[in-house]
Amino acid sequence: MIDKKILQRLIQEGVSQGADFCEIFLENTHQNMLRVTGQEVTDASSSNVYGAGVRLIQGNDEVYGYTNQVDEASLERIIQNLRVSFEGPKYEAKPLGDSAPYDSQVKIPMETKTTQEKAEKLLPLTKIMADYDERIVQSIAMLSDMKQDVLVVNSEGVYQKDERHYARVILMAVAKDENSMQQAYEGPGRSMGFEIFDALEVETLAKETAESAITLLSAEDIESQVMPVVLHNGFGGVIFHEACGHPLEATAIAKGLSPFVGKVGEKIGSDVVTAYDNGTVDNAWGRLSYDDEGRPTQNNLLIENGVLKGYLVDFRRGRMMGAKPTGSGRRQSYKFSPTSRMNSTFIAPGKDKLEDIIKDTKYGLFAKKMGGGSVQPATGEFNFAVQEGYMIEDGKLTRPVRGATLIGHGKDVLFKIDRVADNLEFGQGMCGSISGSIPVDVGQPTIRVQSMTVGGAGGQK
Amino acid sequence: MSYEKWLELGLKKGLEDLQIFASRNQSLKLTIYQGRIDQHVESDVESVTLRGIYQGKISSIKFENENEDAIEGMIDRLISNAKALTADEPAIIFEGSESYPEVNQETFDFSQIDMADKIQLAKDLEAGILGQKHVKQVQTTTYQETANETTLMNSKGLKLHRSNSYAYAYAIGVFEKDDDIKTAYDIKLVKDYHAFNLDEMIQTTLEKGWAKLGGSSVKSAKMPVVFSNEKFGELLATFTTIFSGESAYRNLSPLKDKVNESIAVSSLNVVDDPLHPDAYFQIPFDDEGVATAKMPIIQNGVFKGFMHDLKTASIFKEKPNGHSFSGRISPTNMVVEPSDVSFDDLIAPIEKGIYITELQGLHAGVKTVSGDFSLQAGGFKIEKGQVTTPVKMIVLSGNFFTMLNQIEAIGSDLKFGLNNVGSPSVYVSELSIGGDDSKAS
Repeated sequence: MIDKKILQRLIQEGVSQGADFCEIFLENTHQNMLRVTGQEVTDASSSNVYGAGVRLIQGNDEVYGYTNQVDEASLERIIQNLRVSFEGPKYEAKPLGDSAPYDSQVKIPMETKTTQEKAEKLLPLTKIMADYDERIVQSIAMLSDMKQDVLVVNSEGVYQKDERHYARVILMAVAKDENSMQQAYEGPGRSMGFEIFDALEVETLAKETAESAITLLSAEDIESQVMPVVLHNGFGGVIFHEACGHPLEATAIAKGLSPFVGKVGEKIGSDVVTAYDNGTVDNAWGRLSYDDEGRPTQNNLLIENGVLKGYLVDFRRGRMMGAKPTGSGRRQSYKFSPTSRMNSTFIAPGKDKLEDIIKDTKYGLFAKKMGGGSVQPATGEFNFAVQEGYMIEDGKLTRPVRGATLIGHGKDVLFKIDRVADNLEFGQGMCGSISGSIPVDVGQPTIRVQSMTVGGAGGQK
Repeated sequence: MSYEKWLELGLKKGLEDLQIFASRNQSLKLTIYQGRIDQHVESDVESVTLRGIYQGKISSIKFENENEDAIEGMIDRLISNAKALTADEPAIIFEGSESYPEVNQETFDFSQIDMADKIQLAKDLEAGILGQKHVKQVQTTTYQETANETTLMNSKGLKLHRSNSYAYAYAIGVFEKDDDIKTAYDIKLVKDYHAFNLDEMIQTTLEKGWAKLGGSSVKSAKMPVVFSNEKFGELLATFTTIFSGESAYRNLSPLKDKVNESIAVSSLNVVDDPLHPDAYFQIPFDDEGVATAKMPIIQNGVFKGFMHDLKTASIFKEKPNGHSFSGRISPTNMVVEPSDVSFDDLIAPIEKGIYITELQGLHAGVKTVSGDFSLQAGGFKIEKGQVTTPVKMIVLSGNFFTMLNQIEAIGSDLKFGLNNVGSPSVYVSELSIGGDDSKAS
């Protein structure tokens, strides 16, 4: 987009009066959304995010500016506006290096396929859902694909290109009977191109989505109570994401706004809990070759056998905390300054078997599929919704229940995990925080939490 | 290249009609932490959304790369998207409404206020909270201003313009007492910089925070619930898609086939009012160029009709009512009409209940299709007609459609949220409260 020599000069301008760090982030992103409703292609739209973000830092203080006018004069104007915030000596920017190779891992780039070719992959999926049961009154399949080209340049000599490809298949089924209308949803995503349709068992997922909507028709509202909860693998990892992942981000730690401040080396969970945030998992939705500060991503050990091992750290908050960045600097787009964020976060597999965990639970909730959740890092209070659940009675799954929301405290919940199975899987979501909405994996094997507050609308008055 | 040239180019490439929706956003964001600037962000971004009809099918593309050499590729992409559509649905680019409501187009120029003043405002807001009783720290203090210019023009000769500017500020206080940590903030949005009242914002933030401290859970039960005006507005805002013509057409709204039927208690009136004097924004036309107008959604408990864009209005053979925003059908300003019942009178008859002032996870714990909701909540006990001790870490569950028929009373304290939904406090006869008996008081 802009010549390297010009970028070198602009970076030098950035550090010429007080700022000791200057970074330019250039982005060109194309996104397509395709929707099949029933047996018709009903929506096909595209969008493009294009612009530059400039960041100056002096010590721990930061100023940021962004524009979609990506040319030398516009960027120079931003730098001049921003640098008046600082006073001080001139720094010498390091000469820009060469971009290290990056691996987008894509096999069949989406841009090689027409919109019709994509639609042909979705049409069978809505048919599977619609044909599953006559009570399915609507079936929707969507494909969202995105290609993000970025270049990160900074005064420490970083000149790093990266190319990210994302593909996500979203399935939704609506079931209706005389009593109610219920929806079920699946949204698997990968860092992939068109090959996602080969990598995922999309037909099976479509059948399961329809099945889930039908099951919800006969499910009763769960009754509010405190009880053991078995959280199934995959998107169940949302519990760790909300309860611990966010509070381990330097964004929270640097301000002391987390129950885990100053707890490295201390026990924060039961012995069975080991957890990672990994930015390098092949083809994962949360994978990146380089983070949005131009650093290679890595596999970060967060908790080992219940002992806190580390935080997720970006460049600026690393300075504040005296900690090394962990390749976790992320942002939705050039419209955000980067901060510490998760990639693929998961509880490591244990030795238990799912069947045994259920068998050993006298009474409780089996949360088979989870919805989203949220957390307030300052208080540690988190919540998340259960999309599909079953009661466990005398070690057996009995009736389906709906409408459960689980709440808890980050500092307690890890101590209450007493069983971890061997069946690690990931689930995909969009995670929102101060640097915008980004793709992340949550993951875990099936786990049991000894007791949680479960809320629902069921039961007698 | 001018927008006129883009229209020409689009038509030359075979589009039957084309609309350009161009928006320029300039913003400043300042955040303060412990007396220092934590974030200082300035921006200037233009984006364009093209909507075009190709062989009877309509599609859109939104982009920020407005370089001359990129435009053609954007139009080509739009055409290839339109070609893939199979649904036989109305595709309309609008020639314009007969008239448009008058709104005040004068906007305050926030950029004329000295940067130093704005920084000081945010610092004073933080300083006013720090050091007060039980304040552990201030998580962040934010000042943000935005100026927006929107131009809409199309190949049918329509050309419209609207502009807007506003600023808002808030500080998130972190309060601690006996190991109990709570956060509280009071967000204030203004159309004129001089309308900020720091003393009031500081006082409200402190009072909200202090009131929350020392809370406990409650025993799980079904009981009367009063939603604060802000929280009923937030809950309603998450359910507005059920009033969308698109949802009805796609079989995603249980209100389909319920027009002119009773869906709520007769005391409930909900309107969509683009020009409501108390709303933050007055909106003369939607993103398709359709003039907005006040419309009843629920009148004396009866559902009066769906919000439409051009397409769904045509499908339902109704007049378009100006609800297309950002490619979706959404309200302008949705308002639960207040009564003349004061808050004290509203809660007076309640022997034992919960006053809800906090709801979390609205993006996750709400199912719009079934109406079920189950949400982390907090608030206060209501005992013998009075608000008493704080309640925290409970789950509030119910069904939105059932709840509409369980409204006992509606208050007078109408308040708009930043989501453009306004509501007074609302008393519902019974909802489920999930708590932890061992931590109940």
